[in-house]
Amino acid sequence: MKFRCERDALTEALSVAGRAVGSSSGSLGLSGIQATLTGDRLELTGSDLDLTISAQIQVSGQSDGRIVIPAKLAESIVKSLPPGAVSCSAEDDELLISSGRSEFSIRLISANEFPTLAEADDQFIELPADALVDAFRQVVTAASGDDSRPVLTGVYASNEDGGLRLVATDSYRLAMRDIPGAAEVLGSASSALIPSRALSELNRLLKRGDSVRMHMGESEARFEVPGARLSTRLLEGTFPNYRGLIPDHHPNVLTIERTALLEALKRVSLLAKDNTPVRLQMSADGLQLAAIAQDVGSAQEIVEGTYDGTDLTIAFNPQFLREGLEVAPGDHITLNTIDELKPALLRSPVAEDFLYLLMPVRVS
Amino acid sequence: MFVTASILHADLDSFYASVEQRDDPQLRNRPMIVGRGIVLAASYEAKAFGIRTAMGTKAALRLCPHALVVPARMAAYSEASRAVFEIFRDTSPLVEPVSIDEAFIDVGGLARIVGPAPQIAATLRQRVSTGVGLPITVGVASTKHCAKVASQAGKPDGLLVIPEGGELDFLWPLPVNKLWGVGKKTTTKLGLMGIATIGELATADPERLRTTLGNAHTGHLQALANNRDPRHVDTDRRRKSIGSQRSFPAGGLTGEDAWVITIELVDSISGTMRAKEIMGRTLTMNLRDNNFTTFSRSTTMAEATWSSAALGRAAKKLFQENWPFINSGGCTKLGLSVSNLTAPNNVQQAFNFDPGRAPEVDAAIDAIKEKFGHAAIGRTAKTSRAGTHWH
Repeated sequence: MKFRCERDALTEALSVAGRAVGSSSGSLGLSGIQATLTGDRLELTGSDLDLTISAQIQVSGQSDGRIVIPAKLAESIVKSLPPGAVSCSAEDDELLISSGRSEFSIRLISANEFPTLAEADDQFIELPADALVDAFRQVVTAASGDDSRPVLTGVYASNEDGGLRLVATDSYRLAMRDIPGAAEVLGSASSALIPSRALSELNRLLKRGDSVRMHMGESEARFEVPGARLSTRLLEGTFPNYRGLIPDHHPNVLTIERTALLEALKRVSLLAKDNTPVRLQMSADGLQLAAIAQDVGSAQEIVEGTYDGTDLTIAFNPQFLREGLEVAPGDHITLNTIDELKPALLRSPVAEDFLYLLMPVRVS
Repeated sequence: MFVTASILHADLDSFYASVEQRDDPQLRNRPMIVGRGIVLAASYEAKAFGIRTAMGTKAALRLCPHALVVPARMAAYSEASRAVFEIFRDTSPLVEPVSIDEAFIDVGGLARIVGPAPQIAATLRQRVSTGVGLPITVGVASTKHCAKVASQAGKPDGLLVIPEGGELDFLWPLPVNKLWGVGKKTTTKLGLMGIATIGELATADPERLRTTLGNAHTGHLQALANNRDPRHVDTDRRRKSIGSQRSFPAGGLTGEDAWVITIELVDSISGTMRAKEIMGRTLTMNLRDNNFTTFSRSTTMAEATWSSAALGRAAKKLFQENWPFINSGGCTKLGLSVSNLTAPNNVQQAFNFDPGRAPEVDAAIDAIKEKFGHAAIGRTAKTSRAGTHWH
C-alpha cells in the first residue's frame, strides 16, 4: 500500500475512525485502525465490536492494500507533522510515514487481528440531517452512562403514529422527542434500542444540509453520511414503560425565559457542588433560585417569570436541570410541577414535539 | 484557647438496680442484684459487700448471702432511659449518648440564657430524681474525659464540678485506672514501671512509656492525663448500619426458605429505616457456614434508598450471586445490613420503573403494621411459603 495526501485530511479521518477504538479493549486488533486503499479512495475503520466508524478520504494512491495500524500512535504522529503533504507506504510489517524531513517507521498490527466487518448492501432510508441533529442531541443527554443497567444507556426509537419517537432516561430524568413522518427509519421493526454513544458519535459526523442514509436491522443499525459510515450493535432488553411516568396534569406552571434561567442557574450552581441541589422557590412573585452548601456558603438569584399555582419549593440536581434547559427549543420554557417530590415537566410552548421530565432532589 | 467547664457527663447510678428499687419498695435500702446468672447490676448496698457487675450471681451470693436477686426487665430500663434522655435533650440540644444510661451534654452555649454549667447540672439531677425517680451523678469539666472521670469520682447520686484550671489538681492524685481507657492490663504494666497515679503518668518520660505501651497509646494516655481532650460532644454519632439476621442449625436451611427469610429481612430492615428516617446505599449479605466461618458480599446502589423494592432488588442480586452456597445446606446464618447511611436530605429521587412496589405502598404497609402489628400484613411469598420470586 502506498499513497500521498494532505496532513489535515488524514488527521481528521484518523480521529473520526479512532473514536470507535476502545480505550482498554483486550484484543490487539481492536486497538488498531484498519486502512484500506482502493485506487484513490482510502477508508479508515475503527471498531470496538459494538460500534464501528469508517472515514473515507480522497488520496493520491499508488498501490492498493489493506493494513492495520496502531490507532493512537498513528494519530499522534500525523497530527504532529508540519502542514502539507504526507507520504505513507507499507512494506512487510512496517508503515513508513514521511513528511518534509520527518520520517517515522511504525510496526503494523497483523491484519488478521482486526475483526471482519460485514459489508452492507442494505436498503437505506434517506433523511435530511437537519431533522436529526437536534433530536439526537436532545435525547442523548438524558441517557445513562452506567453500564450496570444497559437498557438505560440506549435511546429507545419507536413508531408513534407514523412518526419516529426517541426516548432516553437514566431514571432521574427523561427526554423525549418526536420526529413527524420518520417512522419508516425503523423498517419492519416497531422499535429499536440504539446505544446513546453511537448516536452522539453520529451527531459529530452530521452536518446541516447533508443527508443521512439509515438502515435498521435486527441486531444492528447503520448510518452513512458523506465521507463516513457508522454501524452499531443494537441493545437488547425491554425499555421501561416511560408513558406511565409522565403525569397527565400539573397544577403549577412556571413560564420563564430560557437563557435567563440558564444563566442564573449556572451562577447559583457555583455554590452547588457535589450533592448540593439547587432550590427553586416559586410563588406569584416569580422564581427565586437558591443553593446552600453547608461548609461553603450560599447563593440566590431572582429570575423574572410568571407563575400560576400554589407556592412551591422544589430542588433539583443542577446538572440535570441545566442539561434540560440547554436542549429545550425556543426562547421560553414552561416548568410544570405537582409537588416537591413528583416529576417536573420541562417543555417549550412553541415545540410540542419535545419534553424533558425531571425528578426532584428530596431536601429537608 | 479559653475553655470553660461546660461539658457534663451524666451517668445513672447502678441503673438497672435503681429502676428495680424504684418500682418495688421492698428492694429499697438493701443489697439486691439484677440478673440470675451473672450480675447485670447491683445496688450500692450490694456493692458495699464487694459485689461487682459481671461477676457470677453465685459468687455474689457467697459475698452477701442475704442479697435479693431479681430478673432483668429490659422494657422497663428502655422506658426509663428514654425518659431520662428526654430530660437531657430538653436541657441542651448537644447530647451525645454513650450508652443506655450515660451521655455527654454540652451546655456551653447556654451560660447566658440558662445559667452556668454547675447550676444546669444541679437542675438536671433534680429533674431526673423527681421526674423519673432515679439517682444520677453528673461530672462537670472543660473536657469530655475530665467530666467522665469526675462523674465516676462523684458517685453515687452526686455532682462534681471541676473548675477551669483545676483539672490537673483533680486528676493527678487519682490512681491511673480512673483514666478513661486504662484497664487492668495497662494498670499492671504501669505499676511495674512505678507509675500509680495519673500525675505520675502525665509527667513520665514518654520514651520510657513507649517501650511498653506503644506509640499511639502513650500519646493518647499522656494527653488525657494532662487534660488534653479536643473531642467535641458529638450529637451526630449515628448508627453505621442497620441490619438483621437469622441463624439456623447446620443443614436446616433450604434455598426456598432462604429467599423467604431474605424477603423478611428486607421488609424488617427497610421498615426500620423508614421509621428512623435513614436511607442507605450499600446492602451487605452476611453468611456463615458449618464451621462458623463468616463471610459477606455487598452491593452499592446508585442512590440512597429506604424502599423495600429497591433493597429487595439489591438483595436478590446478592442472593443469586451466593446461590450455590445458600442452596448447599451448609448455611447456618443469613443476615442483611444496610450501610452508607444518610439522612433523607439531598437524595435524588428516581423514576419508579419497576414492578416492585412503589414508595406509597411501603408507607401504607408501614401504617398497617403500626396499627395492627407486624403479623397483619406480609408478602405473598411469605404467606404462601411457596413463591421464590420477588413480588
